[in-house]
Formats: sequence, structure tokens, C-alpha cells
Amino acid sequence: MAGHGEKNRPTKRHKSSAKEDHHRNASAVEEDHYFGEEIDEDARDADKEGKKRDFTKLELKPDHTNRPLWACADGRIFLETFSPLYKQAYDFLIAIAEPVCRPESMHEYNLTPHSLYAAVSVGLDTDTIVNVLNKLSKTKLPKDMKDFIYASTANYGKVKLVLKKNRYFVESPFPEVLKTLLKDEAISRARISSEGSHGNDSFTICKTMGDIPSGHDELLDGIESAAAAEEKETHSFEIDPSQVENVKERCLPNHLNFPMLEEYDFRNDTVNPDLNMELKPQAQPRPYQEKSLSKMFGNGRARSGIIVLPCGAGKSLVGVSAACRIRKSCLCLATNAVSVDQWAFQFKLWSTIREDQICRFTSDSKERFRGNAGVVVTTYNMVAFGGKRSEESEKIIEEIRNREWGLLLMDEVHVVPAHMFRKVISITKSHCKLGLTATLVREDERITDLNFLIGPKLYEANWLDLVKGGFIANVQCAEVWCPMTKEFFAEYLKKENSKRKQALYVMNPNKFRACEFLIRFHEQQRGDKIIVFADNLFALTEYAMKLRKPMIYGATSHSERTSILEKFKLSRDVNTIFLSKVGDNSIDIPEANVIIQISSHAGSRRQEAQRLGRILRAKGRLQDRMAGGKEEYNAFFYSLVSTDTQEMYYSTKRQQFLIDQGYSFKVITSLPPPDTGADLSYHSRDEQMQLLNKVLNAGDDMVGLEQLEEDADDIALQKARRTMGSMSAMSGASGMVYMEYNTGKGKHSGQGQAKSKPKDPSKRHFLFKKRFT
Amino acid sequence: MPQVRIIAKNFMDMVAALPELKLDKLYENTFICEAVLRSLPPLAKKYVLQLLFIDAPVTAKSMEEWVLADGLSKHRVAIDRLIQLRVFLETTESGALPREPMPSNITVRLPTLEELDVYALEQWELMDTNAQLWYIMREYISNSEDRGEDPADLISFLLELSFHATGQAYNLNTLIDVQMHTLKDLADLGLVKLQQGRKESWFIPTKLATNLSMSLTDSSARKEGFVVVETNFRLYAYSTSKLHSEILRLFARVEYQLPNLIVGAITKESLYNAFENGITAEQIISFLQQNAHPRVAERTPSVPENVTDQIRLWETDLNRVEITPAHFYDEFLSKDVFEGASDYARENGGLLWEDSKKMRLVVNAEMHAQMREYLRRQK
Repeated sequence: MAGHGEKNRPTKRHKSSAKEDHHRNASAVEEDHYFGEEIDEDARDADKEGKKRDFTKLELKPDHTNRPLWACADGRIFLETFSPLYKQAYDFLIAIAEPVCRPESMHEYNLTPHSLYAAVSVGLDTDTIVNVLNKLSKTKLPKDMKDFIYASTANYGKVKLVLKKNRYFVESPFPEVLKTLLKDEAISRARISSEGSHGNDSFTICKTMGDIPSGHDELLDGIESAAAAEEKETHSFEIDPSQVENVKERCLPNHLNFPMLEEYDFRNDTVNPDLNMELKPQAQPRPYQEKSLSKMFGNGRARSGIIVLPCGAGKSLVGVSAACRIRKSCLCLATNAVSVDQWAFQFKLWSTIREDQICRFTSDSKERFRGNAGVVVTTYNMVAFGGKRSEESEKIIEEIRNREWGLLLMDEVHVVPAHMFRKVISITKSHCKLGLTATLVREDERITDLNFLIGPKLYEANWLDLVKGGFIANVQCAEVWCPMTKEFFAEYLKKENSKRKQALYVMNPNKFRACEFLIRFHEQQRGDKIIVFADNLFALTEYAMKLRKPMIYGATSHSERTSILEKFKLSRDVNTIFLSKVGDNSIDIPEANVIIQISSHAGSRRQEAQRLGRILRAKGRLQDRMAGGKEEYNAFFYSLVSTDTQEMYYSTKRQQFLIDQGYSFKVITSLPPPDTGADLSYHSRDEQMQLLNKVLNAGDDMVGLEQLEEDADDIALQKARRTMGSMSAMSGASGMVYMEYNTGKGKHSGQGQAKSKPKDPSKRHFLFKKRFT
Repeated sequence: MPQVRIIAKNFMDMVAALPELKLDKLYENTFICEAVLRSLPPLAKKYVLQLLFIDAPVTAKSMEEWVLADGLSKHRVAIDRLIQLRVFLETTESGALPREPMPSNITVRLPTLEELDVYALEQWELMDTNAQLWYIMREYISNSEDRGEDPADLISFLLELSFHATGQAYNLNTLIDVQMHTLKDLADLGLVKLQQGRKESWFIPTKLATNLSMSLTDSSARKEGFVVVETNFRLYAYSTSKLHSEILRLFARVEYQLPNLIVGAITKESLYNAFENGITAEQIISFLQQNAHPRVAERTPSVPENVTDQIRLWETDLNRVEITPAHFYDEFLSKDVFEGASDYARENGGLLWEDSKKMRLVVNAEMHAQMREYLRRQK
């Protein structure tokens, strides 16, 4: 549990990742499966042996106690949260650096090339970054850090891609930069020369407003902030719309290294029809939602990028607000059909959009909006699907292809693999892309891709601050240690049972009893609503049947799901439901406030955070929830682990992301409490032995992990495990492919192919080659 | 009689617990009187000074009227303490130390004060140094009689030592044998440093020695803490001291050293290292608590609960395997003999394991002789 979120040195990491990126673009798509959190784990391990870093030579400023942070030459920054300047410093750091961990008293951040790219794209220039950082720092800024900032940002933010009146322009205040770009053959070919000025190198010149002071300027001298608001002269040249993706790619750091910022000047877009909708008066964005929107719309245009807010903090309101500001057609992509319904509902809830202007496009409902502008909510799969579609679907997809979208709103961007994005983005033409996510588990390759495919991270909220503000629930997290019974442990250790290890530690009678005890306690003593998560289908069924509770798993039909969830929401008799991992994401169950996790997907930090997210939506009155209010804890997250088994190891890994956000896991060692529990199941040894027999006699196919159709990636993981025989190596690697669940229609051809395709070791990422062969 | 029974938690409690005669004998020494005076709670100190020049007895009732009603509990503590210590109301002028200072013409390089501090502290680990010092001193004093020394003499010498100047060298020639012997032990504890000259030798008291009387009484008035421990097991120490960083390294992984901050993490590995070196979970936790930075010291608990729990759990994890010396018996002649032996062992509380199918027994080694005797009788 004491491992922590330290990351590799940013400089080196970036260099190598840029190369991998390039290398990977050219290679097969299925490699995506292998890019999980594992890379990150390697970095951690490498660091563990790592040398301590000695920066004692840095010169302290005389008034250092008044300044909130230390900055180290390797990019690490430490921030005191009790400093009077904390709020300003936090806003600034979250804009320029990646948070590593954010507990109560001291935050840690890493300055990385990507984080600086994000900083530049929200309008901070290099000098501002260096000056503000220097101002906040207790010591003189290390020269290495200054050099690093200058080197990383030298080219960033100098070039913008602007879509004006449906013409794409490459825009820059520096004509010499444009000349450099034009030396590139591909870009030069893509250029459309204006008004017959062939062969002429002159650019179109126009004036634009500078950035609206973003709040960090108050930390600087007045002169500088005045300068920032002045008009700027920009130069631009037009490019061929069909060449946009090529030009963008040429500008990436691994080619010309002038990554383009994408902005949408929606106010001056007269070609695309306006969509008449605005926020309803009761939709009041909270301060952090307002802040994230201000990062997106800081200079009056819409910037593409990613906003990171914890689950339950109101991501959908941010999405709907963004659509209402742009007021153009909006394509909203979600991960599954249930989530599509919820998004459509959110649009109607918060905005004044007319019923006939919003439509859903899923395998079950194929609606079309009326008029010339509207909102379409669909899934990634519906858009990216490569197989044969029905005639009706084909028509709708054609409309989606041909339309120019003002906003492409993408939900849960952390679960969608890069190739899916590439496909979606190449199919749809949009002026602005906004990605939403709760858990940007950082520094892995997929996140790097997001940076350039969607845009930089625009804002990331601090979980603890939101808890203190009463905006999300204050969760008490606990890890319940359940000792294995003698008999189960003996079987667990036997070699011939290696395939049912998981079933054995999940079905451990002591774990079952702890779970039953917790359900009773929360149902009867507190009147709570409880979700029990189990990845292991055998266990899910056994638990749910024995305790007589409803359950939802992959094969549960859409209508049955909806009906169970409805009962859970409304009925007093249904207070506990059992969910397999289909419940990890997107199923909105605002009533639940207790989670009991009895089995999970190896060491996935993301799954842990997503499950916690199911109960983060704040309940009750705001004043009770705020720091010092009546209710200290109003939600509970229990992770049940069988001691001395693999689970202990996974559990520690899984908690890392949440621990980095400031959550702490209390260890509970005896549940049910001693001298109680005679009335719980499996009290007698005989009952326990019967259970053991059941586990041992269940077929191999029964005791494994649930394999969802939509979970092609998991299946890939399973295969890899069998060949290499070590689960630990793959722990945490869990990029899921979301396939829409479709009962009775047979498998999509594309999908089947992906599953059966054998992995060619020579195509694997170099980090993994050795492990698998 | 004192209403508050004080458990010997520190040096002065021990002094107070001495038999009357010995205590009275101690007060013949000026330094002890002064040390005792220093050790008193502020209110008791005030009373002593107020009563210094009053010859006539003062009634307890009238003394009670000296304080406001809400100060009554403090008043009682003060009075109890004075009674326990059998404080005399007269003192004599303080005299010169009975030691010969090092002549200035000797040109040995003496350690600087800083070096001396480091030397003193190097002899200690974890806990609050004073608390540890007290822990050892208590043992040292209570064992003195076994070594044929008078505890009163020892206490008297220790208190005297606390009036020496830190960093000054004093000649050993004024010491009696018992004191010489004690001094060597104190050198090991870092209270003094011995300096060997060609003909003569000196001892140099360190801060530990000179703080002895003060620090040994009032362990609650501690210096400001500097450590922040977070729920994610990260540890931030506001310190410039190399020594602190070394102490932290005993149980944590130090990752960053900044001009006035040490950053580290408590990990399973780092703790196992500490446990292997004989440091206990409780010592680590109390070190973290006692040195909590003022920012976190006021919150309860000052060290996050999940961290302290985990440190303890890791320690108990190590102790899960218990080793019991035992004997293994097999090849019983018959089932009856086996069952008889196994019952016998069980009845005597020595049976650790049995396998009735294969007729094997494991019995606590303490019972071996008994078992052998029993088995012989069966033949």
C-alpha cells in the first residue's frame, strides 16, 4: 500500500515515448492491447531502486516561508496546501504540470513536455510559466528546470489550426514559423494559395484579441497582464480540408515538432447553422465546472482538449454547457447504450433543446433529428463499426459523415483505445473536440495518444477539494482482510488448482460471511443502498443466489437491466444488487452509497477508481456534506481480500490511483466481529466443506473471469496469461474495447476476427517482447 | 499525603521516590537543589521562591487562596510535587564546580559544539532522545545497587554533571573511582566525550548531559516537530539536518533532499529493514507522532490512522510464524500406546500436532522429559 505515484523522469520518458509513438503508428493495431498500466508499473519499480535526489544546494529565498512550493531540477514540484497562496498555486500547477499525488498537506507534480504543451494551449506563454513558477518557488528556480521549460515550449502554441467559414487555416503570429512549415513537402502541397497570388510567399494578416487574462496574471506585474490583453497580429495560410489530418500529423513532435492547437471560432462561423439551445436557469455550473469551461473558452474560441473530473462531479453538465455555448450541431459519443440514454436525458434536463432536435443512434433506436442542426447521441462502436450495416443505419452514418459538427463530445475517453479514436475522428468532421473522463491514469501510451488526437488536458479537478466543498461524497474506504479457511487455503496452494485460484479466494467462506455481515449492517442499521461487485461470474452467481439478491452481468438483457435498476432506485425491498464488471462504467446509479467489492480485475487502478465513482455522487444536503458538516462519511467502499493470496498483492496495486488522490484505506481485520456471526451463512465446517466441493467440482469454464463480448481486450489478456503463465505481469493492463452488446444477432465479423487473431511476438512492443517469449 | 500518585515517568519522579534519608542527603548538594528547583512546575517554582523568606509555617488553606478557583488543579499538582520532593525552604549560595578546567596552554583540538551535538545524537535512535535517555538512565540507576553503587551518589553525580558547560573540557583527576566508572558508561551514551591527552585525560559534557536535569523532568514541553506523514505513506520532514535524514532513512526511503525539506516514503521494504534492525513499529509510530509538524500535530491523529495501522500490521505479519522448540515422536508400537501418549500430551497442554493415521506426534520440547518418562512407563 505504500507504493506511490511516482513517475519516471519526464524528460527521458518523453523522448522515448515520442519515438514509440511514431513506430507504433506504422504497426498493427492490436498492439494497443498491450499498452496498459504496466509500463507505468515498470517505471515505478525502476524508481524504487532509484537514487535519492539531492537538491540541498538550491538557494532558499529569504521570504521562503511565504511561498508555497519547491521546484526540483528533475521536474518534480512540491506544493504546500496550507499556504495562503494554495488556491492560485493549484490552478497554476494543474495547468502546467501533471499531478502525481494530492493528499491533504503536500501535493506533488511533475513537469512534463505534455503538461507544458497543455499549458501553452490554454494560453500560457513560456515567460509567464517561468515567471509565475519563480514567484511561487521557495528557492531560486533551478536552471535545469528553466531550460527544460524553454526547450519544451519553444515550438508549442506557435501554430494554430483554425476552421473559419469552413476553410482550414494554419495560423501563427510568427511568419518565419509558417515558412518553416511550408518547407515540408506535404504541407506545402496541402496549401491553397489565395486569390491567384501564386508563388507568392506572403501570408494573410489579421488581428485577433489576445487571451483574456487567465487569473495567473494577478501573480505577475500589472504591465505584463496589460500586454497579454492587447491585440495580436497573426499570419495564416489556408490548407486543403482533405489534407488536414496529414498536416496535423506532420506537425506532431516526432516530425516537425510544431504541434498545432485547434480552436474553433464558432461565433464567426456563419456557414454552419446555429442550434437554438441554451442552459436552463436551474443549471448552475459549480465553481470547478465553470473553471473547466473557462479553460476551454478562454479566448472566445472553443479549444479542443480533455477535462478531467471525478465521477459524480457533474461531467455531463460540463458537456452540455459546452454544447450550449457553441450552439452548433453536436455529436456525443458514449461507451454503451445505457449511457446513450443517460446522455440524451442529461441534454433534455439541463438545456432548452427541443425534443425533436436530439436523437439517439444505437442498435435498438435509430432516430433522426429534424431541422438543419441538432444533437446526436451514439456509441463509439456505432460510428467506428467496420462491418455491414442495415440500410437504415447506413443512411444515418452517412449523415454523420457528411455533417460538419460544431462539437464532438466524447465521454469516458480513458477506456477507448487509440485506434478507435483515429477511426472515429477520421469519419467525423468536427470543429472542436471535447473529451471527458474521470480517471486519466497517466503516463501510459494511450494517454499520450489522447493528447494529440483530442487535445491537451484543459483542466483536472482535485478530488479532496471537491470532497471538502461537499460536491462529491466523502467516502470511507476500507480493505477488509478475510483469512482463508484452512481447507480453502490448502486447496489454493495445490498445483492442480492453479486455474481455480481466483474462485477459491473469492469463495473463501470468511469473505462470504464478511460480505453478508456488511450487507446486513448497511441495509438494516443505516438503510443504505448497496452495490456488490464481482468480476468472477461463478462467485457472482453463488453470492447472489445464496443471499437472494438480483444481479446484472454481461448476458442480462437491456430490458432486464433497466428493470432491476429501476427497482433498486425506487423499491424499498431491493437495497442490494450484484454487478459484474458491466457495472464498472457509465451505468448511473445515483442512489447507491455503499460498494462491496468481492472480486476484481487483477491490479487495475482504473477499475478501482471507476467503481468508487459509482458512489461519489453527493447525496443529502450540501451544508451537511461540507467539511465540518454533520455527516463525516456518507459513502462506503469496502474491498474484501482473502489474506495470503494473490488478492493482497493486487489490492495494493489497485488502490494506488485513489491513494494518490488523497484517499486512504482503513484495514479491517476481523469481520464479522468476534463472538458474532453465528447466524451468518457458512458458519459450520460442514457448510464450508460443501461450498468447497462445489468450487472444486465446477467446470473450468465456470470459474474463470467473465468474458464480455464487449471486452475483446480482456480476452486478449487471458490468452497472454495462458501462454506466459504469470498474471502479475499483465496486472493493470486493461484497455477495454467497448462493443455494443447485441443479443441474438450473432457476432460481428470484425469482432470475431480481432479475437481469434494470434499475437505475433515480433510485432509486440519491445518492452514486452521478452516477457512473452 | 500527596493526592496524586505519580508513577516514575522521569528522572525527578525517581528522585522523589528515594527514601527520606537519601533524599535529604541529596539536598546537601547545591546542584541538586537547583536541579530540583528547575524541574518544578511553574506554580511550584513560584511557591518555593515566595516562601523562601518566610520562616513561619504557612497553612495549606491560605495557600489555596493564592490561586483562582480554576487554577486549583494546578495548585494541587504543585503542592503534591513539593511534598513528594521534600523541598527545603532554605538554599545556600551556589558554589563553583568541583572540577578543574582544562588549562588554556594545552593545544589539543577540541570538538566544536556542532560536532559534539552530532556525536551525542549519533548514539541514539528514534523515539524522543530524552525519552530514551530517561529509559536507559532509569535502568542504570535502578541497577546501581547491584553494581555496588549508591543510587543517591549516582543521581547526585548525574545532576552535578548537568551544571557543567557544554563543550568545555574538564580534567578527570577530580573524579573518584565510582564517578570515573560511571563516566565511561556515560561516554557510551553520548553524555560526555572523553579526550585522551598524553598524561592527563579530560571529559567534555555534551548537550545531553547539560540538558539532563531539565529534559529529564519535562518531556511534555517538547521542541517543535517537523514531520508530516500523508495518507499515501509519503513523508515530508521540514529539516536541514543530515542527522534527521539519517534517522528517517532507518525506516523510510528518502527520495528528495531539498534545502529545508526531506521527502521520503514509508514502504514495506523500508519498514522490514527497520524491523530487522530491531526497531519496533511502536518506536517508529511514536517518533512520527512526537515529531509531528505543527500543521498536523493539532489534528487527531497526527499521523494518519491508516499509516499507523499498516505499520503495526506489517510488524505483526512478521511475527505470524512462531517458533516453538518441539519433539517429534513416531513408530508407536500400537494404536493404544499412540492414543495414550497423545492424550497424555494433550492433558498436559503440550500437544502441538498429531496425525492419528500415521501415528505421529509433535510435542512441546518442555514436555520432552515428561513424555519420555511416560513412554518408558508404558513399556
